[in-house]
Amino acid sequence: MSQSLVDLVDIAPEERDAKLVDIRRMTKAYRGVHAIKDIDFSLYAGEVHALVGENGAGKSTLCKILAGAVQPTSGTMEIAGKEVSFRRPHDALEAGVAMVYQETSLVPTMTAAQNIELGHEKLLTRFRSLNINAQTLLLSMNFHVDPTAYVSTLGAAQKQMVEIARALRSNARIVIFDEPTASLTPEETLHLFDVIEKLRSAGMGVIYVSHMLEESLKIADRVTVLRDGERVVTLNAKETNRDEIVKHMVGRALTGSNRRAATGDDKPQRKRKVLEVENLIMGNVVRNMSFSAYAGEVLGIAGLIGSGRTETAKIVAGALKRNRIHGGRVLLNGKPVRYRVPKQAIKDGIVYITEDRKADGFFETMTIAENLYLGHLAARSGRKRWLLSRRSREKIAREWTQKLRIKAINSDAKIIELSGGNQQKVVVGKSLVADPEVVIFDEPTRGVDVGAIEEIHQLIRQLADEGKAVIVISSYLPEVLSVSDRILVTRFGRAVAEFSAEEATQEKIMYAAIF
Amino acid sequence: MGAVLAKVRPGGQLRLSQEQIILLVVASLFVVFSLLLNGFFTAENLLNLLRSVSSLGILSVAMAVVVIARGMDLSLVASMGVATAISIQLMRTDLGTPMALLVGLGIVLLMGAINGFLIAFVEIPPLFATLASGLLIYGLARTVILDGLIVELPPDRDFVRWLGQGVVFGIPAPIIIFVVVAVVAHFLLSRTRTGRFIYAHGDNSGAAGLTGIPVRPLTVTEYMITGAIGLVGGLVMAGSVGGFNTQIIDGSLIYDVLLVVVVGGISLVGGRGGVLSVVAGTALIGVMLNGMTILNMNTHEKDIVKGLILLAALVLDNRLHPRDEETVRQGD
Repeated sequence: MSQSLVDLVDIAPEERDAKLVDIRRMTKAYRGVHAIKDIDFSLYAGEVHALVGENGAGKSTLCKILAGAVQPTSGTMEIAGKEVSFRRPHDALEAGVAMVYQETSLVPTMTAAQNIELGHEKLLTRFRSLNINAQTLLLSMNFHVDPTAYVSTLGAAQKQMVEIARALRSNARIVIFDEPTASLTPEETLHLFDVIEKLRSAGMGVIYVSHMLEESLKIADRVTVLRDGERVVTLNAKETNRDEIVKHMVGRALTGSNRRAATGDDKPQRKRKVLEVENLIMGNVVRNMSFSAYAGEVLGIAGLIGSGRTETAKIVAGALKRNRIHGGRVLLNGKPVRYRVPKQAIKDGIVYITEDRKADGFFETMTIAENLYLGHLAARSGRKRWLLSRRSREKIAREWTQKLRIKAINSDAKIIELSGGNQQKVVVGKSLVADPEVVIFDEPTRGVDVGAIEEIHQLIRQLADEGKAVIVISSYLPEVLSVSDRILVTRFGRAVAEFSAEEATQEKIMYAAIF
Repeated sequence: MGAVLAKVRPGGQLRLSQEQIILLVVASLFVVFSLLLNGFFTAENLLNLLRSVSSLGILSVAMAVVVIARGMDLSLVASMGVATAISIQLMRTDLGTPMALLVGLGIVLLMGAINGFLIAFVEIPPLFATLASGLLIYGLARTVILDGLIVELPPDRDFVRWLGQGVVFGIPAPIIIFVVVAVVAHFLLSRTRTGRFIYAHGDNSGAAGLTGIPVRPLTVTEYMITGAIGLVGGLVMAGSVGGFNTQIIDGSLIYDVLLVVVVGGISLVGGRGGVLSVVAGTALIGVMLNGMTILNMNTHEKDIVKGLILLAALVLDNRLHPRDEETVRQGD
């Protein structure tokens, strides 16, 4: 094989600036709901093209179509001038499109070299040549990864390097990066940019998907903004700036619309401390986490993925257990509590609303009403009644579909037939039926349509106004900034900084989260 | 039961559930056999057909409870067999029938609790936990407690005999017992809080936990319910032949039970189907077995048919409950 970057640079000059990808009027609908709609997109050789947009704007869907992981509903796609339609990821690889996934798709029990070679094995593979070839490839990009190391022992950045090497090994001319820096340290990020630079100068096309605008602007030649599944605009990175892009992304200038207008004299005085977390420790994920939550206040928790936010929340809500000894303390209204299962926490008024509603949020075989009713049956307010009551189910369904503005034909609609936003509302409703005192939202608007995002934010505000202590974990900084009264930043399992809503900015939060 | 009626979706497209499809198949098979097979459509044969499948039906209702909760009880036949055999052996002494039956009930409940404990607390996959516990209890019973392969029911134990051989208004008791068990189980599953929790558990165990359902105690309860219903099936079996042959435990009964459950539309994915599915599955297997017996097919030929039915049911299950397109990730 010995496919190295040296070879890649030898792309004939006339092939430079050739159109590698040309997508026209691409549409993908799930159950009639558009994930993306009529998107035009192009990519030239030697270009880095950034895709930006809020959660659910359609970036991932577009990339997955290009990588053959998802089949479009309509639209055409040309790769290097030839019309193609990919039925599976393998087809895309054959055509030279490789995707470096957010959650890496490497096989953890194989070595780096074996992973790079995966799918290209000859009938007999010599270990020595395997490792040497992998080493050559890795070094050609200045990647310091031991080809004989098992992938499970590698860090996030090194895994990504192996992924990139694998993409190159399969002769990819188009590489898609999906949120590549989400799990990288700043140093590793710089290194990744070097690699992307190399890919560019080798005449390859790079699609760069990221939430982080500054980053995208720095690395990209062109930036395409998506909103609600549609392309808003494509700009030259050099001729635009962050503010312009944000305006296009949101469709309006950003205002802290949901934040309490807390200025000067009517600044709310500190309210009752409801929840106090002291020196919480779990394994090496949560290391010495401390913070407090107050009634009538929204506490936002920002931090990188893996900084222990979700785990902390789950410990508080009884879904995970902290270390038995020296695990720290959780105080609810001044009383130390330790829950073995969520049932106990719910009984005491602490609910955790999951970040992955499909995995452990809703019951897919059931209707909206049945999902909400289950929350009632399982909660403390569901008295010890053994028989089900249709009347109380209907009452609860009516009450909460109205309160949360869940949109469906009726409450007997199956939950899987709903849009992501409405599913999320049902999951939220199922928890709120228990009338909790502390509500923990984990990524409350992930995969939620834009209209519903606004409504969920209002709901969060409203819950706090009702006197509940609300905690919102979010990786999306504008969200944290717009809903929180107070913002906590976590890093490596610790709370490292705290800002009031007035003093917090994206830059300050990111700085605290990274360094 | 409203579930019998097919739902017409807003698009006007008729969508049948698996049990409805199976019931249609049963109905057409019934018509075909009645026309083609001599001696199929007689009152005697039909009652015979029902009686012969009712204990299978009861065991399948038992299995359905754990399968709906996304579990599996391979020890079902072993624990009901051992409990039944021990009860009967006790009846051979001068112990009263109720006491002997209570001991049997105690055994299946303890067995269910052990299964539930292994699965919920030790976190062993149900398939393996119950495979091991089934082997263990059967082996223990045979080596330590039971005198022989076959335990005969003493002639004076009328109640147990009635369970298998009694007749009420011309209807054999096993059929009545099957109906009663089915109705009670249906009530439990669809009208009680525990029933709703069982469905929730099978649908999404993670969500069930976060919603505040006590998943672990629930698991133990599920396996205990399964064991208790199973014992009823065992007693009906013992009553109809006047004793219990423990070799049944080594046989293929457990596979027939799974066949009925899966064929009827209780998806192994969990959270789907109900007692009606078991009734549909039992009816199908009953009609097929009866027809095949009249056709004079041997065991192996029957196995071929059973295997084909099972495969067809699994394919049907896959098509009716496809995985969500959105959740399909690359590489899985």
